[in-house]
Amino acid sequence: MSAKWIIRISINFFLGLVFFINSSIAQENYPSKPITLIVPYAAGGSNDLNARVFTSFLDDYLGQPILIKLVPGQAGQKGTLEAVRSEPDGHTLLFTDNYRDQLHRFTFRNNVYDTNKDLIPIARVNYGEIAIIVRADGVYETWTDLESHAQLSTGNVAMSHSGLWVALFVPALQVMKNLDLQLRMVPYRGGGPAKAALLAGDVDMSMAFPATVAADVEAGRVKILATAGSERLISHVPSFVEIGLPPTTGFMHRVVMAPIGVPEERIIILRKAFARMQQETAYQEMMSQLGENTEYLDGKAYEAIRIQQSRDYRELANSFNNE
Amino acid sequence: MEALIAGLDAALRIDTFIWISGGLLLGMLMGSLPGFTTSMGMSVLVPISFLVGDPLIGIPFLIGVYKGGIYGGSVPAILISMPGTGASIATVFDGHELTKKGQPRKALEMGLYASAISDLFSDLFTLVMIIPVAAIVLGFGPPEIAAVMFLSLVIISVTSTGPVIKGLLMLCLGVLFGFIGADPFSGAARYTFGTNQLYDGFHLIPMLIGLFALPEIFKAVKEGDQTNSRIAQFVGDHLNFSELRRSLRTIFRSTAIGTSIGLVPGLGQPIAAMMGYIAAKNSSDTPERFGKGELDGVAGAEAANNAVNGPTMVPLLTLGIPGDAVTALLLGAFMMQGLRPGPTLMETNGDIVFAILIAMVFANILFLIIGYLTIPLFAKVVTIKRSLLIPVTIMLAFAGTYLARSNPFDIVTLIGFGLIGIAARSAKFDVAPMVMGFILGRELEYTFGQTLALAGDDWLRFIFVERLGMTAVVLATPIIGVTLGARMNRFRQKAIAGEQA
Repeated sequence: MSAKWIIRISINFFLGLVFFINSSIAQENYPSKPITLIVPYAAGGSNDLNARVFTSFLDDYLGQPILIKLVPGQAGQKGTLEAVRSEPDGHTLLFTDNYRDQLHRFTFRNNVYDTNKDLIPIARVNYGEIAIIVRADGVYETWTDLESHAQLSTGNVAMSHSGLWVALFVPALQVMKNLDLQLRMVPYRGGGPAKAALLAGDVDMSMAFPATVAADVEAGRVKILATAGSERLISHVPSFVEIGLPPTTGFMHRVVMAPIGVPEERIIILRKAFARMQQETAYQEMMSQLGENTEYLDGKAYEAIRIQQSRDYRELANSFNNE
Repeated sequence: MEALIAGLDAALRIDTFIWISGGLLLGMLMGSLPGFTTSMGMSVLVPISFLVGDPLIGIPFLIGVYKGGIYGGSVPAILISMPGTGASIATVFDGHELTKKGQPRKALEMGLYASAISDLFSDLFTLVMIIPVAAIVLGFGPPEIAAVMFLSLVIISVTSTGPVIKGLLMLCLGVLFGFIGADPFSGAARYTFGTNQLYDGFHLIPMLIGLFALPEIFKAVKEGDQTNSRIAQFVGDHLNFSELRRSLRTIFRSTAIGTSIGLVPGLGQPIAAMMGYIAAKNSSDTPERFGKGELDGVAGAEAANNAVNGPTMVPLLTLGIPGDAVTALLLGAFMMQGLRPGPTLMETNGDIVFAILIAMVFANILFLIIGYLTIPLFAKVVTIKRSLLIPVTIMLAFAGTYLARSNPFDIVTLIGFGLIGIAARSAKFDVAPMVMGFILGRELEYTFGQTLALAGDDWLRFIFVERLGMTAVVLATPIIGVTLGARMNRFRQKAIAGEQA
């Protein structure tokens, strides 16, 4: 290892490094450069797909491309933190959901950020309402059957879920808490494997967004026993309120947020872009192909829902953390 | 059968083939960038398939990216000892040794032929067997997967290179590394020493690059100016037909292994590659040549990892269940085209399903052609002056590590594992069991935990009535382990005797 050799390697390395570093010059108009949307989920999930759909339309209304940056990890906290710490100039946004936004404050505590103080909603893109599902050829005809069986045999009803404190797990806790049931929770990596476990007969029940089981219901393999909300989604299937759950149980809202400190006029530009995008039929069609609704809600209106969620989730988290 | 013929008719379209070719080429390029995983590449390209309003273009395009990506990972593994994805872990062992011997082209061609042949046969298997196999797939739940993981761990520890105790030690170390991070069942932090950085545990990609690429770089820097200024002057000869024929048995064996592993949801390419490699080594007459530049080793690993691709489509197409990130993206692409994978899709749009499967089969021929044309370009890398190649390699190692999940802490992981790799090499410890311990240990813990949750209180009934498959695998494990171990021991003694003589 001669000195000359080391120097030669070092010089070439730094020449290469300089080549890769480019500087961007900020301009007056907003948005003046591509907007980065931080997506704190792994590639391939429903949130990734939703983000890819709406970002491919939103750029028409903002005049700049939207770049998706997947930052999975620490149950979404890593991506959230990155968004919170980013320059609040409106060029970095976060795509998140209500569990990450309001529930995880109580379940994965951190001292670094507070979603209520550090993030401001731009728009709710859409939401999903969860359904309780069982095998169509199984012993449970109605929710009442399942409920009474679960009450008789404590902990003998097994339910597959897609991971701690997210879309299937949280409504299941609400079922346990509000109806005083014991379910045996079996974790799987994502909604797909959780559904497979139900189809295979490994577990007795599961939950799913109706669109993800539509084909199975049609083929007579899966039966829906109840759906979230106070209204019935399917005429002969009871709603969550009818079976004794709070009306907000089982709703997953997909929301775009900005770090606090983004100038007011930029927030307005962003909110307007989302509002105008709703008029585009191609966007509506693509979302419905994906089995998602386009129940858009302005960021300001979403604030009110957020406060309610915070209250509900605190209670829910406390009742399970104390056990 | 009617659907099959209709599908054949629909699949034979020139634009479909052009799009597949584009996908393959993009996939190969992306796969050859270390740290840029196949699922990331597909995730970036999935909107293109949304916008093309034809399922027979958009979906074959993505499948091309998938196939190309898995193969592409073998290119940096062979040329610069940098496995860019977990799938190419076992390709490094012999692939890079061949490059150092001046035969990078042979290694790349063997990788390509093995990948394309195994892909072809696993796709044909999928095409013909999709309906009967769909029923079996659901039978593999967490208990069966846990049993197979356990068996894999035993196989890896008894067949490791060098003394068994060294292999076992590295394996346990890997398992320990796997325990770092959030407990998958409660979310509680384990061995994180209070830092948030370790909450997700170590990431596979910086570990692989650190263990395999950094020691090579270190070695090259250390002795660089004393030896040749290039890794090789030329890209070397083509692969002979006789060399390919000699490895055909290995390719078919690995195809069978990879296809079976692909059928079990959640096992994945790294395990397939490792098992294919071990099987090739174990049934070779000259296992001592493995790890020193044996073409059969490249064939065994590459055939096995690509054979996984076909069967992963079965649960997606027949049940609408995506087993991993790649199939989840494909599910999204299907839905965008107005097709809903699942039991009804086979009935209502059977022709399209078969057309896509047939396109997959034909894609392998294009795969072979495109791969063959790109090899000379890729292989040129090794003829670059070392004083230029080394800095580029260092940059690729760090950039690839960061690219994988945009986490600066991964750079620390990379350097840490690089040091472990350098230390292990000088102490003659094989790092492969450590990586496999890391991959399998975590998964075994998770699936075992799931199994316990599934079993509930009535575990006797669970073991002896409901889950006979799991019980059978667990009971067979010691027998397989002892048989393989004894065989490997004979070779070890032979090798030692050879060295003494």
